[in-house]
Amino acid sequence: MNVYHPRVSACVWLIGMLLLGALGLKTLSRDWLETGFLALLPKIEQRPEIAEAIERHSQLINRKVIWLSGAASAEAAIANARKLERQMSDSGLFGKITLKISQDQAVNQYKQLFAYRYQLLDAKTRNLLETNPQALLDQNLEMLYSPVGQMQAAMLERDPLLLFGRTMNSQKPNNLNLEQGVVVLRDGQKVWALLLADLDNSQLPLEKLENLLQLTQNATAEIKKAGGELLVSGLPLFTAYGSESAKQEISTVGAGSSIGIILLFWFTFRSVRPLLLSATAIASGLVAALIISIWVFGKIHIITLVFGASLIGVVDDYAQHYLCDSFGERDWNPRKGLAAIFPALFLGLISNLLSYAGLGFSPFPGLQEVALFSAVGLFAAWLTVVLLFPMLLTGFQFAHEPALLKLAVIWERDWPAWVAKNRSWLAPTLLIVLASGIWKLTPRDDVRLLQSAPPALLQSAEKISQLLQVRDSQFFLVSGKDQKEWHRNEQQLLEKLETLVQNKALKSYEGLSRYWPDPEAQRNNYRLVKQKLFDSGLAERYMTNLGFDRAAVAAEAKAIIDAERNTLKLEDWLVMADEGKQSLWLGCAKDRCSGIVALSQIQDFAALTSLQQLPGVVWVDHVEELSSLFARYRIRASVLLFSAFALVLTGLCFKFGWRGAATVMAIPLVSALAALAMTGWFNQLFSLFNLFALLLVLGIGVDYAAFFFLAGERRLSTSLAVTLSGLTTLLSFGLLAVSSTEIVHAFGFTVAVGIITAMLTAPLIGTRAKAVSDQKYT
Amino acid sequence: MRLLAIILLLLPLQASQAADLLVDISARLVKNEITEGRFRQEKNIKILKKPLISTGTFTYHRKQGVIWQTLSPVPSVLLVNQTRLLTTQGEQNLPPAFGRVFTAMFGGDLQLMNEGFAIAGANGQGAWQLQLQPKDPLMQKIITGMQLTGDKELKQLDIREANGNFTRITFEQITHPETLTPAQVVDFERLSSPR
Repeated sequence: MNVYHPRVSACVWLIGMLLLGALGLKTLSRDWLETGFLALLPKIEQRPEIAEAIERHSQLINRKVIWLSGAASAEAAIANARKLERQMSDSGLFGKITLKISQDQAVNQYKQLFAYRYQLLDAKTRNLLETNPQALLDQNLEMLYSPVGQMQAAMLERDPLLLFGRTMNSQKPNNLNLEQGVVVLRDGQKVWALLLADLDNSQLPLEKLENLLQLTQNATAEIKKAGGELLVSGLPLFTAYGSESAKQEISTVGAGSSIGIILLFWFTFRSVRPLLLSATAIASGLVAALIISIWVFGKIHIITLVFGASLIGVVDDYAQHYLCDSFGERDWNPRKGLAAIFPALFLGLISNLLSYAGLGFSPFPGLQEVALFSAVGLFAAWLTVVLLFPMLLTGFQFAHEPALLKLAVIWERDWPAWVAKNRSWLAPTLLIVLASGIWKLTPRDDVRLLQSAPPALLQSAEKISQLLQVRDSQFFLVSGKDQKEWHRNEQQLLEKLETLVQNKALKSYEGLSRYWPDPEAQRNNYRLVKQKLFDSGLAERYMTNLGFDRAAVAAEAKAIIDAERNTLKLEDWLVMADEGKQSLWLGCAKDRCSGIVALSQIQDFAALTSLQQLPGVVWVDHVEELSSLFARYRIRASVLLFSAFALVLTGLCFKFGWRGAATVMAIPLVSALAALAMTGWFNQLFSLFNLFALLLVLGIGVDYAAFFFLAGERRLSTSLAVTLSGLTTLLSFGLLAVSSTEIVHAFGFTVAVGIITAMLTAPLIGTRAKAVSDQKYT
Repeated sequence: MRLLAIILLLLPLQASQAADLLVDISARLVKNEITEGRFRQEKNIKILKKPLISTGTFTYHRKQGVIWQTLSPVPSVLLVNQTRLLTTQGEQNLPPAFGRVFTAMFGGDLQLMNEGFAIAGANGQGAWQLQLQPKDPLMQKIITGMQLTGDKELKQLDIREANGNFTRITFEQITHPETLTPAQVVDFERLSSPR
């Protein structure tokens, strides 16, 4: 190395770090942590109108937290809900809390819509009028003569035919009631009070999520103590639990790898200097990774930090190689050491960077972040080793025999010897284990695996969606060239859905045209009422028999004549509708009008998807869409993996010739196959993410193999370095396997198996050169 | 100050009086698994010139609820328990207090009514009377008060509505059979089967 100027390079390093620090002051002062699960997913690869519909559909649910306070009596349930409401408003977390339903809106709606009672018929009433109008009046009589019909009796004065009550009743679910102004539902012996809350905004900073979690846990315990039960559901809560477990994992992985490294270093070097140097390399790597990633992406996800914590075990590899190189050589100095290991160090960096760059090709923002974070971290740590270490290692001596050396010796000498002796049965066994494990692999491409949630929350959410009609994430997008066509298309769909509800393919559906008949339907409804009830004389007879006086009969006859020209426009109807119904309308653009038909508790997906053959109907299943995207990218990632192997092989051919390149590549190849086989054998999750993990195995495998291939007479120090770095890397990725998020867990598992295999196979390289090193150290 | 003290003293007293009253009256009522009888219901609706009068039979089962069978003028069946209301027209919205009151009053579980109603009344030698006033302001807008009258059995229920409508239901020929008839069993099964 002609350019060896330790002081100059240290200065360059220092300047770089200062610049980084300045950048850090700017970027870290912002809110830079992303916690939402959706941020991990790729942008919707969809036509814009579908993307917009998905956006609208999820907007309503993304910020909502639903609570149900249950008790044996409505009073107790409502009292508990009241207490919770107070705690919630004190917490300042929520923008809107709804417990008591304002009567004003309902009264207002009643008043405004009443004028259109002959126009707004629900499907059942329309049916009855068409087939048997007398039955409709008989039903009125049945209610009026029953002990319950107080409401009907009260309405009789304004609406003798009781038509409007039917319309209003058809607009709300059956099992909901208002008590003390609170929505209450009964389920067996239990009474539940409903409390809805909207978080302030969809940005969820970590401390708010912690507060939300705390509030939930406290309230659940408190209500349980009072003899009640609290159910809670909502995306913010899932996010909160996800972040909480991610936070714990970061500290487990971070602390675990740090402690491991400290212990290993202490027992190996018995000196503080290597420890401090390594810590510097790791810290500068992580700090650079964090700052640059935030600078590039604006915000980084908490899951990225979980992966980031595992980087600790990888970034210290370079430092270990340099430090270990000094072992056993009496006249070692930093200059000689760097010259000796630089080629392998450089190759290691390139292969690692290449493999992380491969991660960046995935469409998942989460993995792109991990890729950049790791690449920057590695590069910064590498620069620290190359630029700063030469100066600080001046006078460093490593002459004692570390405890780890025994292991390294067994590993680099006894182990290859044993393998060579037993290869007659080892090779076929290995082949069978690998082949059968890979045969067992079954891919699972479910996007929900990215999210982790405790079973209690899942149960709670499940129970809530049974009690309430919570919308599923799947829905229909219905459109037409104008309102009229949209309405016709939606009506056709709703008709089919009604049959499916009868057949239990789903629990319920919700579409605007169920509540709002278009002008043409309104005219038809009016004509139906007029013809079947008034022109036929049925209404008059019914009223007279019930005991109305003549004036009342005449007034009703006049009311229907006066109402003939009434038409309720969609815009006017929407103003009066509740937020849930409003969200179903997507509006009209220049040549199309569209709306959403929401569904709940779908049982038979096939029956529903077949409905998209109807005109203007599109089935939208965002989750399934993403999962199939996972599957598609799993195949793409396999191709990427093959090309990465081919690329590295070609590169190595230029450097070592084809024989050497094949030797080196055998290590990552066997390691990757072993990782896949073990995933199969242990029935671990196999998805897109395992393949990305294999990219890392490629990088690490080439790294170890190259060190051994180039070791020559430095074989012992090399094996010491590789043992040390292998153990630390294994520790940090192995700790990833504790993650409760299935995908992170699978990633950790795959890399861990890959590293173990690479560690076991790498020393088999270059055993022919062993004789030389044997002479040197014995 | 003195007045306040008296009121404070009186408050818990009143509450316990109401509770005692319910216990006393409950004690007088015959308690059986099954209660059966005939009813006559008269609804006086302000805007109608004549009352709506219906008659029929009722069956109460302690665990299963009430079968309310109107025989005249429009034959129909209504099934109700604490959580559910079924009519000939199918599943109906159950008015909050209705299921509770209806099942509690036939069963003599008057204490159950403490939830949701302010209770006053008199326990006389021959007959007893209870006045129930809904606590829920929303319900007060519909029902201003109810009155139950009875001796060993419940004899009469009056419902007074905010708009001036008034309903009186009288019960007679009350018996306590040991078992349900097959038809009644079928009806109750319908009520308890899942939606």
